[in-house]
Amino acid sequence: MGFAGKYRNELGLLIAIACVFGFTLIFNQSYLNQPTLNFKNISQQAALLGIFSLGAAIVIIVGGIDLSSGSVIVFSASICALVLMWFAPVDENGMPQTDEITGWTPVLMAIGITIAVGLIIGTLHTWLITVVQLPPFVATLASLVGLRSFAKVLNPAVSKILGSEVTTLPADATKLVDLSQWWVAPVVFLVLSLACYILMSHTVWGRHLYAIGGNEEAARLSGIRTESMKWLAYSIGAVTASIAGILYLAKIGTADPGTLGMGYELNAIAAAVVGGCSLRGGMGLIPGVMLGVLFLRVVIDSINKVVAKGSDDYQGMIVGFLVVLAVAVNEFRRQGGGQRKLFFPGTLGVAVIPILAAFVGCVLFVMYGYGAGIATFVSLYALLSAWKLAETDKKIAAALMLAGIALGCIVTVVTLRHWEAASTLNKLGIGFGFGVGLLLTGSGLVMHLWKPAVESHAPAKSPPPK
Amino acid sequence: MNEGPGSSVTIAHVTKQFPGVLALSDVTFDIAEGELHAIVGENGAGKSTLMKILSGVITDYEGEIRLRGQPVWFTGTRDAEAAGVAIIHQELNLVEELSAAANIFLGREIRGPLGLLSEGAMQRAAGELLKELECHIDPRALAGSLRVGDQQLIEIAKAISLQTEILIMDEPTSALTESEVERLYRVIARLRKRGVTILYISHKMDEVFHLSDRITVLRDGQLVKTLSRADTNATEITHLMVGREIEAVDFGEGHRAAADVVLEVKDLSLAWPGHARAYRLKDINLTLRRGEIVGIAGLMGAGRTELMECLFGASDVRPTGEIILNGSPARFTHPAEAMKAGIALVTEDRKRLGLFAQMNVGQNITMCTLHQATTAGLLRGGLERAQADSMVTKLGVKTAGTSAPITSLSGGNQQKTIIGRWLLTDPQVLLLDDPTRGVDVGAKAELYRLMDRLCRDGLGILLTSSELPELLTVSDRILVLAEGKLTAEFTREEATEHKIMEAATLV
Repeated sequence: MGFAGKYRNELGLLIAIACVFGFTLIFNQSYLNQPTLNFKNISQQAALLGIFSLGAAIVIIVGGIDLSSGSVIVFSASICALVLMWFAPVDENGMPQTDEITGWTPVLMAIGITIAVGLIIGTLHTWLITVVQLPPFVATLASLVGLRSFAKVLNPAVSKILGSEVTTLPADATKLVDLSQWWVAPVVFLVLSLACYILMSHTVWGRHLYAIGGNEEAARLSGIRTESMKWLAYSIGAVTASIAGILYLAKIGTADPGTLGMGYELNAIAAAVVGGCSLRGGMGLIPGVMLGVLFLRVVIDSINKVVAKGSDDYQGMIVGFLVVLAVAVNEFRRQGGGQRKLFFPGTLGVAVIPILAAFVGCVLFVMYGYGAGIATFVSLYALLSAWKLAETDKKIAAALMLAGIALGCIVTVVTLRHWEAASTLNKLGIGFGFGVGLLLTGSGLVMHLWKPAVESHAPAKSPPPK
Repeated sequence: MNEGPGSSVTIAHVTKQFPGVLALSDVTFDIAEGELHAIVGENGAGKSTLMKILSGVITDYEGEIRLRGQPVWFTGTRDAEAAGVAIIHQELNLVEELSAAANIFLGREIRGPLGLLSEGAMQRAAGELLKELECHIDPRALAGSLRVGDQQLIEIAKAISLQTEILIMDEPTSALTESEVERLYRVIARLRKRGVTILYISHKMDEVFHLSDRITVLRDGQLVKTLSRADTNATEITHLMVGREIEAVDFGEGHRAAADVVLEVKDLSLAWPGHARAYRLKDINLTLRRGEIVGIAGLMGAGRTELMECLFGASDVRPTGEIILNGSPARFTHPAEAMKAGIALVTEDRKRLGLFAQMNVGQNITMCTLHQATTAGLLRGGLERAQADSMVTKLGVKTAGTSAPITSLSGGNQQKTIIGRWLLTDPQVLLLDDPTRGVDVGAKAELYRLMDRLCRDGLGILLTSSELPELLTVSDRILVLAEGKLTAEFTREEATEHKIMEAATLV
């Protein structure tokens, strides 16, 4: 397999990242006007996500899943802050003042202890998974829920002993604050990436991790100590999250178990999956994961700039959509792209078409107002219905498809431009589009009943008896 | 063909071709109304394929099935059930989390006036069915919590409630206790009184002769003979079962000379918790010398694979007894230890237990010896390639290169890469568990020559096979396993297929 074959996924991601950049440049001049600021922002954000995505990816490669990263981040940040409080000099009221810590020693101690805690969490996961034989999903789900709550209880209890009873821990040691400089996280990320890349691609352990993910029983029967290897994977998963926790703490300045790291585990898994890891295990490359992380952040940044909302509210939707898209494309390729695939078979297809149309319509409604929303809904409804018909009968299809696309374009353009004028034309157009959509759905249903389009699921047809 | 009015099922010229294997070849016989017809044959004779066709599991085949003279072509198991044909698989098909009653009526639940499930009615009906079968369990009990014998009766109860006229039973007694077997016999007698035609698949001659009216022998996908029980005896049947064709392999160079003992097994037993037999292996004694191939014969479930796993430290339960390797006792708790000590296992199920499908040929070969291809902990591509190349050359693996995907190779060549993986570990004992399964004829002969060559190089090889002629061709000695016990040992000169089959079927 040549370079292009082996790194097809990575090349695809690079092209995708370039496309997103180009797309953003068309709508927003920020990249041209403030290149340094944008570079710093994106690289720091991507690096913070990337650090624990590496761990998530290695766990996925070994055939497991680590749902706990978000909570490990906040728990580690709390531990780090608590250790700093412990070392901090106290004021006249006996309150620890972390901002008066100026030397490196306490900060390094705190970092060391935090990383050790990560190792402990990874070891606990391994024990739960290999000895108690919990599914990885359950074991790490337990710590996802448990560790955050543990931090909430632990923080006031320990900080009370240290002189100030708080849940949200301050951590302003000057040397820790130094770690919030924009280049620290990217450097840590690149170093860790290099280490993970060497581990996964150039050591025996890495090969064994891939082997376990690919076929655990065969790996065991090849004399691989699967338990030790799983310990390695889950420990990397937890330790990278701990490191990310320290950097988040440095950046934000406080460890708040109520908010920090909420839902981050899923972003990490998403980045790994977009980067080419298969949840079946045994697949995925570290460079792919790095690009997956970058791609996610670039898209999020692009949406922020283009939609100009300046918030991360769209993040979840984007991540969700990209995960579905990336995995669907990979699956499609795995099954052999040439094969005919039905996306809207039977009644489920009839049901899902308006759902998809309504979902996209709602998003457009939020972004551009209700006119655009309705127009999108209507035209998408018509388009997908035509698609469904196309799956059943190609002849009827092409014409209908064209009609749907044309209709969609017209309705969208007209409504986007002139909805506020509320001309009769627009109302007619929408009514017409809606009618066509219903008509197409109806005919899809009829076609389905008359000629079920479910060949892909039914067993091979038996030959007629001779 | 005697297709009288009393014919229940007629199988006419049924042929089934799997990729690379002709599973059934022009099989024709008929089954009389209300008879108990036993079907016997070696592993891979085509029994299961035929039963799968009859019960609608396999839907594409050539030939014709007639029920009472009417041609039928089942499109699925539902279709077969509707026509009155049901099968009870060796691996029972129950939803363990549902109750006995729910299992019996699965897919045809009795519903009340509002369309809601009528649990009461189902439980009553199930209770009556089960009582009739002497199965005294609570119909509300979860299927998974019941003994295998009772689970089987649930399947039979389901078949009865489906108005089954033709019932196929695949090795029904393999997991039953003595008393459960007795009960099953009584149930069978009762079913026959109802006029149910029974097709009975079994390895065990005593059962076959106790129950059946007629016996059909299959071999290599072909029908050998259908006999009346009264006109035959167990010895004749076992002799009819054997005699598969095999390509003659000339090893040249005359006889191999066995040297000193490399592996000795004393009183090896392996417990089987929760099973009627209580053990998978019982008091196994064997020796293996360098330069010797010892074949282990045995039918499905006799314990061949379990024996291999014990010797390799891969069994779930720790075996008892002694394993002596090179004169010193060995007790492996993990395959890694066995590998280090010089034992290699090529597993039976290549896809599930041997191959790493996502990796290439080279990576599959070097899996066990990667640590030898490193400097300062880093893998050296050159060293790794050298390992892989050496085995590709030595074993003659036909591949586009070591970086070709493993899945692009044929079965025989995949098997060679796995053997190569283990040869790199420099073993003294090579355990080959049915290595020619799913391998085409030409490649089989190559594998035989390879075994011979390795043996001459001083390796001790323990080989299991589902094909007796293969064992007779390759082995110096043949041990026979039946139901977890060694029942016979033959030298190559003494061994014949007939003798082995008699020992394997406990005649």
